Amino acid sequence: MNILRNRCVALGFGAVGLALALTQLSACAVEGVGVDGSVGVGYDAGYYEPYGYEYGGWGPGYRVGPGRGGDRRGGGHPGSYRPAPASRPTPSIPSRPRAGGSPRGGGGPHH
Amino acid sequence: MSSIGRIRNFLPQGVWAVLLSVVGLSTLYAAPFELPPLNAPPSTEHHVGKVVWADLVTPDLAAAERFYGGLLGWTFQSIHAGNSDYAVALADGRPVGGLFQKAIAAGEHRQSAWLTFIAVRDVDAAKRTALSQGAKVVSDSKNYPARGRQAVLTDPEGAVFAILASSSGDAPDFLADSGEWLWSSLLSKDPGAEAAFYQTLFGYDVFDLASDDGSDHVILSSDDFARASVNAFPAGSAHRHAHWLNFIRVDSTADSVAKAVALGGRVLVEPHVDRHGGQVAVVADPAGAPFGLMEWTESDSKTEPK
Repeated sequence: MNILRNRCVALGFGAVGLALALTQLSACAVEGVGVDGSVGVGYDAGYYEPYGYEYGGWGPGYRVGPGRGGDRRGGGHPGSYRPAPASRPTPSIPSRPRAGGSPRGGGGPHH
Repeated sequence: MSSIGRIRNFLPQGVWAVLLSVVGLSTLYAAPFELPPLNAPPSTEHHVGKVVWADLVTPDLAAAERFYGGLLGWTFQSIHAGNSDYAVALADGRPVGGLFQKAIAAGEHRQSAWLTFIAVRDVDAAKRTALSQGAKVVSDSKNYPARGRQAVLTDPEGAVFAILASSSGDAPDFLADSGEWLWSSLLSKDPGAEAAFYQTLFGYDVFDLASDDGSDHVILSSDDFARASVNAFPAGSAHRHAHWLNFIRVDSTADSVAKAVALGGRVLVEPHVDRHGGQVAVVADPAGAPFGLMEWTESDSKTEPK
């Protein structure tokens, strides 16, 4: 009987040791992937914007969308970005429809 | 039985209880947060500068699912890990974005928003470039094994955006289907300076556009496709806070706006014709997160609206 108890005690301690080892291994499994070792365990990309978006003033001439390609060029912003050559037509968004049998996957926005 | 004997009898059961607790807790807390890959099967295709994902942060995940599900027919796949509650939104079975529940701290006057993810090849290199050009880090570089590596930044005007190096490649350049993100716009005080920042970061070709209303509008392009616009705030608008605004393709902007209102959203910009000839509108979901609705039909006029 005593032998049985001792074996159970030993088995119990062994199991605790195994659990602790598994915990360490599990932690190791999600470390060291990145340059600084940071890995997503929880999600922390969520942020809240300052309150008070205001969308007034969007009159008929205020357009933020893409054109159909070849839209008229403006005067640019000298000294800021490097404008594409005037000879290049303004591009539009992709027009190729997704094939009906194409593989399903992510991709989210498809600009 | 002696007290030692009783302890010996008890110990194995206690040890097993401890074992189960430790294993359970270690599984709960050490399990990685498994975001799905952007592409399945994975590809080696990459499109630096393309908007490839969007995440909503909201205080009420269930309410957001009801709203976006009812409006766009999205379905949701829940991911719970640690203290994180996240749902992947699916349009016709394809992942199109994420909804992340996060409480708004008491006393904070903040509002829900969609976070725009732009593709890069090397997050840390892009982050260094961004910081050297006036950006700040909101959330530092982090790996999500199936998704890739990402970081959240603010641009020099304070607009928040994320950079993502997808470990499964970027999606091919198809025209978005209804219910998918079609377009992204940055609203800012100084479009020229902002365009220069994003050009340095993503290598965009920048096209300045003629404007009838006197506002500055430029198109950011990569791979010879328009990826986003940068726009000056319209004249007379107050509370100008630079931010990204993403548009979802819909079959009818007017019908979608009406549906959004019926589901508890509100209209920020009424439907009107935009540059491509189709109707656009801006609405806010019940938690206040703004997003755009945009028609894009092959029969739309290809001439600019008068």
